[in-house]
Amino acid sequence: MALYAFLLDLSRCIGCEACAAACIAGNELPAGAQYIHLIEQTHGVFPHLTGGFKNHRCYHCADAACVKVCPTGALYKEDGLTRLNRDVCIGCAYCTDACPFNVPQIVDGRSSKCDACAATTKAGGQPWCVRTCPSDALRYGERREILAEAHARVEAIRARYPKARVYGEAEAGGLGVVIVLPDAPEAFDLPANPQTPLLLDVWQKVVQPAAVGLTGLSVLVTGVAAIIARRNHMKELAELRAQQAQTEQNAGAQEGER
Amino acid sequence: MNFFRSCENANHSEEKLLRYRVGQRLVHAVLATSFLMLLFSGLMVLWPPLLLWVRSVAPDISPGLIHRIGAVLFMAVPMLYLLVDRCGARQLLVESFTYDKDDIEWLKHAWRYFMGHAVGMPPQGRLNAGQKLHHAGVVIFSATVVFSGLALWFAKGYLGPAGLALAATIHGLSMLVLTVLLVGHLYFTFVYKALSAMTTGYVPKEEAMIEHPKWVEELEHQSASGKSF
Repeated sequence: MALYAFLLDLSRCIGCEACAAACIAGNELPAGAQYIHLIEQTHGVFPHLTGGFKNHRCYHCADAACVKVCPTGALYKEDGLTRLNRDVCIGCAYCTDACPFNVPQIVDGRSSKCDACAATTKAGGQPWCVRTCPSDALRYGERREILAEAHARVEAIRARYPKARVYGEAEAGGLGVVIVLPDAPEAFDLPANPQTPLLLDVWQKVVQPAAVGLTGLSVLVTGVAAIIARRNHMKELAELRAQQAQTEQNAGAQEGER
Repeated sequence: MNFFRSCENANHSEEKLLRYRVGQRLVHAVLATSFLMLLFSGLMVLWPPLLLWVRSVAPDISPGLIHRIGAVLFMAVPMLYLLVDRCGARQLLVESFTYDKDDIEWLKHAWRYFMGHAVGMPPQGRLNAGQKLHHAGVVIFSATVVFSGLALWFAKGYLGPAGLALAATIHGLSMLVLTVLLVGHLYFTFVYKALSAMTTGYVPKEEAMIEHPKWVEELEHQSASGKSF
């Protein structure tokens, strides 16, 4: 099965926000929802300034923390991308806390994030942001081709940007948005090594199954034991009553003899 | 337990003893209802087939809303207990964390009691050692489930991945312990036919003599000395 990905070339992004506008319009997002945010990044002191635009959006992590914590399966992986079924979302907001990139938002009581234009791309089309980008900073396709393109672009800009690198090849298990970074990740407010805490896995893979298993086991054990134990208790009560009746009978007999 | 004489009720006869006053039964009902609401709505979230089944019957049902209503009721229980039976609330709290030699002996032989043998167990007071442990567990793990739940409810968006994982793990583990305690509670209620104690408030004196002889003795002592119980 082919994995798909976006190419996001931040050396070419001019911050025009056409992608963000096309995303809102093309996906008919409700008021308050926005999947792409362009954030200007400036570093250094004049005249030695560097900068660019952070294209803040879902990075479609392969090892997606939001998918791990989603209790209803509203967030799920498909074709290497992180999809969202808002009909199933209950708005618990676990995804907003779990995401190492702080991407999902709660809009109208439900999670809101890029789903890679699922309806369009599954039909063979291109995502709205890619179709609109005027500077060829965005592309969409099979992940292996996108990775090759990203490495080629990094090599092409290396002379101008010595710190240039591909971001997202292995980070968070491999991102579905492969980024051509002209500078270090920190310069674009991206975590150098985005990670999900081990405790998230413990909670999902150990605590929750153990909770269901141990509760089921306790019901099973007590269910079987209850029948035996109740019979034992009824028996001991009957014996006690018989013993008391016998004692009273003996006491009555002794009284009669007197 | 002379401290709690004022907790006792005078309603008793040769056949039965008043074990749970109206206030205590009300608090128990609210606690049970709210806990079941929380458990059921929590399971709906954890186990999607249950949610799908419930939604096929009641399409507009919201597990989140049920969970929040249940949570408010659950958190109101201590306040309600203090309001309707302050003495009983204090008594329950103190007794649940106070263990004597008979309690330790009782716990050593708890397996016999588990299998339905109450006769011959070390003498117990108003609460047997198992009930004390159960109530202590309920108090402790209710506190942890409430605090972690409040964090998940009100601090969403601020917890971060590690905070979310910690709060959710504590919440899940606390609920696991409380659910197993509930299963045990239902088990002993069935084995010792104890449901009527909570529905009517009374227990047969004959059975109280077997399971709580120190309590019966205390009541009789109070009765003989002219104090109400």
